Amino acid sequence: MTTQAKNLIAVALPFPGLADVTIDALAASAERIDHQAGDVIYAAGAASDFLFIVASGAVRLERFCGGEMRLVGLAHRGEAFGWTALGEAAARRHRVAAADAVTLLRLRGATIIDLVTSDPGAGRVGRDDVVAALKSIQAVETLAAGETKHDVIAVQKPSAIALAIYRTGIWLRSPKPWLALLGYACLFGFWHLAVDVLKLPRFAEMPGPGAVLREFLSPNPTYGVSIYTPVYYQHILISLRRVAIAFVLATAFGVPTGLLLGWSKTFRDYVFPLFEMLRPIPILAWVPLAIVMLPGSELPVLYLTFLASFFATALNTMLGVRSIDPSYVLAAQSLGATRWQVFRHVVVPGALPFVFTGLQISIGVAWFSLVAAEMVSGQFGLGYLINTSYTMVQYPTIVIAMITLGAVGYATSAAVRLVGRWLMDWRERQLAMAGVR
Amino acid sequence: MNVRPIHNGRGAIDIADVVKSYGSIGSDVLAVDRCSLSIPSGEICMIVGPSGCGKTTLLNAIAGFHDIDGGAITLDGRTLCGPGRPQASIGSDRIVVFQNGALFPWMNNLDNIAFGPVVQKRLTKKEAREKARLLMADAGLSGYEDNYPGELSSGLQRRVEILRALINEPAVLLLDEPYRALDALSKSIMHEALLETYYRTGVTIFFITHDLEEAIFLGHRVVVMTSRPCRPKKIFNIDIPHPRRYDVLTSQRFRELAAEISATVDEEAIKAFTLGDREG
Repeated sequence: MTTQAKNLIAVALPFPGLADVTIDALAASAERIDHQAGDVIYAAGAASDFLFIVASGAVRLERFCGGEMRLVGLAHRGEAFGWTALGEAAARRHRVAAADAVTLLRLRGATIIDLVTSDPGAGRVGRDDVVAALKSIQAVETLAAGETKHDVIAVQKPSAIALAIYRTGIWLRSPKPWLALLGYACLFGFWHLAVDVLKLPRFAEMPGPGAVLREFLSPNPTYGVSIYTPVYYQHILISLRRVAIAFVLATAFGVPTGLLLGWSKTFRDYVFPLFEMLRPIPILAWVPLAIVMLPGSELPVLYLTFLASFFATALNTMLGVRSIDPSYVLAAQSLGATRWQVFRHVVVPGALPFVFTGLQISIGVAWFSLVAAEMVSGQFGLGYLINTSYTMVQYPTIVIAMITLGAVGYATSAAVRLVGRWLMDWRERQLAMAGVR
Repeated sequence: MNVRPIHNGRGAIDIADVVKSYGSIGSDVLAVDRCSLSIPSGEICMIVGPSGCGKTTLLNAIAGFHDIDGGAITLDGRTLCGPGRPQASIGSDRIVVFQNGALFPWMNNLDNIAFGPVVQKRLTKKEAREKARLLMADAGLSGYEDNYPGELSSGLQRRVEILRALINEPAVLLLDEPYRALDALSKSIMHEALLETYYRTGVTIFFITHDLEEAIFLGHRVVVMTSRPCRPKKIFNIDIPHPRRYDVLTSQRFRELAAEISATVDEEAIKAFTLGDREG
């Protein structure tokens, strides 16, 4: 037992070159404890006095994250857990339970620090260095768990609203919202400076932020469009409806086309050269033909919006299929999957991350080409509003429409992202494990 | 004498005069040349050789991932590829565990394991999940059913991947350096787990590795391959009785075998190195 304990301690603790006396003393202070599978070794929020080293078996580290208990990691033979015992007097961050029958070495945190700092060879290691080294380990451990030290004590599953409030709280306490505000302030500051204070010649016709805001919030707007006028919402709704129709159609045609392009070599050989020649043609170049070919003013606008989105979606989907690790396909075949089953269970889910990248681009491109199309053809819509305001010299209205486009575009993009996260739960969790998010 | 577990007599592989080259005519690289090897049913056969010597090519041929240019490979007397069977066939009677792991990251562990029986329509989804659950419990992996593979350590991922193969009751497991990325401690845990599985199922194991210690600890035989083209150079019988435990690593016999095999491997590694020099 003692030799084994010494070996384990030497391997598990992050201090190479500890003197034998120190390791002997550590081993002597260690208690050996056994647990059955499923036993909870400590709960999140509990006091942390001890560091544990796994002598045999494995333990599960779990934490409360995203509304449920999730596995964060495992500790196997030779690995230590419970580093909080060595830091400041903090509560346990994880819940730890035995994955199977385990034998653990239990060492008191204070004892470890005392022994390591009084190590004869450790003239080079001051107490501060030890604590710093331990802190870095804890940082790694918390990083791996995704978020930082906020959500320890909650063990019951909270309601969605409570969770949302809680997350907003964290967000507000982080520097993020203030940095974002600073960014906005810079833009508006420059705008105000250029137009109202310095009165730069090129900005002579441009309304200042004050003028735009007054118009935007006025119950009686000079040029007829503000948040109090129904026509404002009519423009938004019509644009939104056009983007929605075009985006849905582009997705419905683009994703299957992209999947086929990626999966079938024959299809790719026939279609890809054509695809690559049509794709770079700017959407504005299509305007005359669209107007000539399609009846009415609504269909050309929809067609132009659809076209740009379609190419973005199809191309990214194709890249997604081609980026799938071939060993997934071989593995599926080896397990007896037919070609169709490989397509259904490997190609489609494997390409999904790229598909959603494509959809993000596609929704942005949709707004871009919608406005272009609305400015040329079409009635109503934000692009139409910008164009008519320009011809009628109603400059504040142009800026109002631009700001609205930005906000609505941002919202649709966020909605697509949200759907993607919901569909690719596995990816979210994997990224969380890697400490990316 | 080696103690072999009771098995059902399946999984005897015969590799006869297999030839496989890559590339177009004129600039062929001969990966495998007149390679012959017989693996009896229920053997753990460890394949050791220099990097890039063509071991994986041989494994892929057994798996049916590609054709061979000459010779034949049979499994229990049935020709997998060779004359009269130009088209390689993939079958769930021999399943590959890949070097970097190929669990589907978008399926939870339970569905990953249940995948084979479901796509082969041997079991309903519900039955397959039930069986997968039992396998996981047997392997001490209960509690990870709903986790995605990406949430597990790489050691546990490999265990899940082996279960995903075993649920199909294959005759042969083809392992291509499955534990390469693991640290020494996890590796030893994985070895014990693999042996335990083997003692239970008696499945034939074709195992490629660079790690001599791993090869000797696990194998009934260690086959040292020549550098390209790949062919058995020397076959070592590992006469340490099974079941083995980790203490055999420190035994006298283990050290003797390690020294002997290491000498043969080094010779080939040097040859591969100078060969690489000439080609590079």
